[in-house]
Amino acid sequence: MTDEQQDFSPIEETREDLLREAEHLLQDAGRGKTLEEAGPPRSILVFSLGTEWYAVDLAHVKKVLLATPFARVPGAPPEVMGLMNSQGEVLCVLDLRKILGVHAGAKDGSTEKRFVVVMHHGGKDAGILVDGVDDAWEIPASEVLPPLESLEPSRARFFEGTVSRAGRFVGLLSATMCLNP
Amino acid sequence: MNVLVVDDGTTLRGYDCRDVLNVEEIEAPIDMAENDRFLVHLGRAGCHREIRCREVVGFFPLSAREIRPVPPVLRERMTGEVPWAVGVTDRGLCLLF
Repeated sequence: MTDEQQDFSPIEETREDLLREAEHLLQDAGRGKTLEEAGPPRSILVFSLGTEWYAVDLAHVKKVLLATPFARVPGAPPEVMGLMNSQGEVLCVLDLRKILGVHAGAKDGSTEKRFVVVMHHGGKDAGILVDGVDDAWEIPASEVLPPLESLEPSRARFFEGTVSRAGRFVGLLSATMCLNP
Repeated sequence: MNVLVVDDGTTLRGYDCRDVLNVEEIEAPIDMAENDRFLVHLGRAGCHREIRCREVVGFFPLSAREIRPVPPVLRERMTGEVPWAVGVTDRGLCLLF
């Protein structure tokens, strides 16, 4: 065995293999693509639900409002929080926690210090209640990776992808799936 | 149109005054578990029904300017009785049935 071979332990070899495989996976997911291949940059609005971070494409965001008490709707499914009057426009507000099955940092139905992100898609408007709104990010399309494979299929259908940036792991939501039952 | 607005404890409901036959006050139950204090008798074209409510807010004239369609996102999700519109009143949003 040569000195060079002795320096290269089996553990390091395994790590090298793993890193190589990870690099391939990232390239497959789009990180390695050029801007032309990946598409134009995307603007997303990042917000929080408890300790988790989510985002929606800004193209589907009409406005962000401070939440006010909702008019409850008897007989509506649990994900419907109620109706809200936004400058004369009646909005249906949905509980994203119920839609996604998120329990982290669950708040009761109170609207205090919370926000409603008003989304528009396919001719329909609806608000989603969130705990906090962080910022709008402009990201290269290549930074949007596929949704985590570990997500349950029932939950995964609500995600377009994931974005990892500034030490945060952000779930990019699909407006279509969020607004349709 | 004139609307009778009632509060069922969670939401405001509005009914076309022409459908309201009469409003009856219910005797307070001994155990006080029941919060509904009024019974609204509704009837149109031989179809009668009763609505229990906590409070009768009053009669409100609603013009087209104060009436909004039910948001499609809500309509698509409803399985029970769907309001035909939403009224915007001083007391808040009122579901019109």
